[in-house]
Amino acid sequence: MAKYNPPDQPIVMQLFDIACLVAAIFLALWFPLYMGWAGISKNLEKIDNPTWDALKQNPTMVAQWEKLGFTPETAHAIIQNKWVYTIDWTQLIIMTVVLLGYFIFLFMASDREYRDVIDEKFNSK
Amino acid sequence: MTTTSMGSAPQKISLSRVLGPIHVWALGVGIVLVGEFDGWNFAADKGGALAALIVLWFCGLLYSAVAMIDSEVTSTIAAAGGQYAQAKHIVGPLMAFNVALYMVFAYTMLEVSDAILFGDAIVSKSGGDSGINHNSFVAASIIILAFLNYRGVLTNLNFNFAITAIAFLSIVILFFSVMPWSQGTVLKLNELVTPENALPYGWIGVIASFHWGIWYFLGIEGTTQAAEEVRSPARALPLGTMAGMVTLLIAATMTWYVCASLLPWQLLGSTYFPLWDAGRATQSPLLENMMFITTLLAALASANGCINDAARAWFSLGRDRYLPSWFSAVHPKYRTPYRSIIFLTPIALAFAFVADLNQAITFSILSGVLQYTFMSINIMMFRKKWPLGSIQRGYTHPLHPIPAIMLFALCMVTFFAIFLGYGVQLTAMVVFYIVVSVWFHFYRYQYVRRGAQFTMPWPKPQGY
Amino acid sequence: MWVYLTYLCWAVCVGLGGWMLFDWYKIDTTYSEDTLTSSREGEIEAVSEKHKV
Repeated sequence: MAKYNPPDQPIVMQLFDIACLVAAIFLALWFPLYMGWAGISKNLEKIDNPTWDALKQNPTMVAQWEKLGFTPETAHAIIQNKWVYTIDWTQLIIMTVVLLGYFIFLFMASDREYRDVIDEKFNSK
Repeated sequence: MTTTSMGSAPQKISLSRVLGPIHVWALGVGIVLVGEFDGWNFAADKGGALAALIVLWFCGLLYSAVAMIDSEVTSTIAAAGGQYAQAKHIVGPLMAFNVALYMVFAYTMLEVSDAILFGDAIVSKSGGDSGINHNSFVAASIIILAFLNYRGVLTNLNFNFAITAIAFLSIVILFFSVMPWSQGTVLKLNELVTPENALPYGWIGVIASFHWGIWYFLGIEGTTQAAEEVRSPARALPLGTMAGMVTLLIAATMTWYVCASLLPWQLLGSTYFPLWDAGRATQSPLLENMMFITTLLAALASANGCINDAARAWFSLGRDRYLPSWFSAVHPKYRTPYRSIIFLTPIALAFAFVADLNQAITFSILSGVLQYTFMSINIMMFRKKWPLGSIQRGYTHPLHPIPAIMLFALCMVTFFAIFLGYGVQLTAMVVFYIVVSVWFHFYRYQYVRRGAQFTMPWPKPQGY
Repeated sequence: MWVYLTYLCWAVCVGLGGWMLFDWYKIDTTYSEDTLTSSREGEIEAVSEKHKV
């Protein structure tokens, strides 16, 4: 196979490529933050006028909370804020398909490029 | 800085081979140890104190597999960029591009988390009424460490070795000063972790806590980034990585035992400073202040290693023209990838100012798990394309393919765990990788030389 | 006291950040681009490690 010679990329286009990549990075990382999508499946089970008993803390636990300066009122928001583990099947299926599709494309396209690399490296003299 | 030496620099400039096994240890453990000071404890939030211990064991297994697999491949492919260079030689260019991005993401977001932790710890120490916010401390930690990285890898990792060793020792000191052999004196494990609250959410909680269990060890695979700068990669990398893994297993076990015996699980699961709080719960000012200072040191050590690793991954992308070759410049005096270091600094700063701590950690974990999934498949392909005996390996890992299969299975569990609570983020991130993969495959790859990417003096792979 | 610490931090940022930018500029204008980007992957291995087929 003939040796592949890549074209020269003008400096402006190099800058443009970097800008695209940085924009994509920011979009991927920032957007879910901006939309508040992270860690939303928590639910505060409110108790009015909480006491250590109502929060189901034994005397040892109470002693440790108090050493760190907590009162039943301040501990309430921590103790009663509980995870809700329900599986949203539609979301799970979408995630699985996206993940699988990604890996399949990744390995297939990589293999095609890899064959070129091996061909040029070992078969062209 | 003298200008006299500048004109006479050699024509070829490369990274310099100055590191030994202790630097590899310092890089690996330094990045990871912060996980003990913050992060692993959110596993208790997701599944209870016992779940945090169960995932500690499973993740210990996962990372032992990572360390073994990594040692074999990287002792054979010793190039800056670590897993990136591995992917390039074994799977293909597009995979390599993705792997490098996983690393840049994982390390940069970890650096961001470290800087936020550093800033928050100081603000917390100053008390609520001092009226300061964490931005100045966050910025200072990032800039100072970027500066150290800029000035040379040897000094930088010597520094990292010192602060990592101190942080590790503080965990050992804390462990022995609370008399671990005598439960009931200071430690109250029986009364804090009871049959009723050990697994408050049942087994689904255990699965969910894998998300944070990863944080006990995330980043140990970064040792491979130093491949081009260690004097004897085939020996130093496996040695440093394995020693690092042993250190971390010890530190993680001690940390769990002390924290679970001192803090009620809800408190443990919600604090940003589990070890510091454990020090406070002993009511010894000495232990409290020691754990505060080492929390800061661990955060610095980690951020430092992350800057080192992310910059080398970015540098390698430039060197192969996957990104503009402008990034592949090496500083003629300090022998560091200085442009990559400078380029990544404002990105880290930007996120450090807007993200919150456990979201930044989640981004980092996501990229990490994608990378481990790749590693399990990668080692299978490596053994198939170059079977044992066809090339010289610095280290051969035992029981193949069991570690690879185990690693793959644990990655699948972790994807599901992240889905419980952060499913949309995971999907959004994978969509990002799909978009940039398409961009690379159909557009950017035209600027890449083909055969020249394969730099190892190996025979042709089998099956091609 | 804490407020002064934050000023100190900002000053350090400006100082070290400024020095890096200055050094970057100086290096880029002193050396040619070809010299700076002359690092190649695997060059040392190619000489020092031989693999038997």
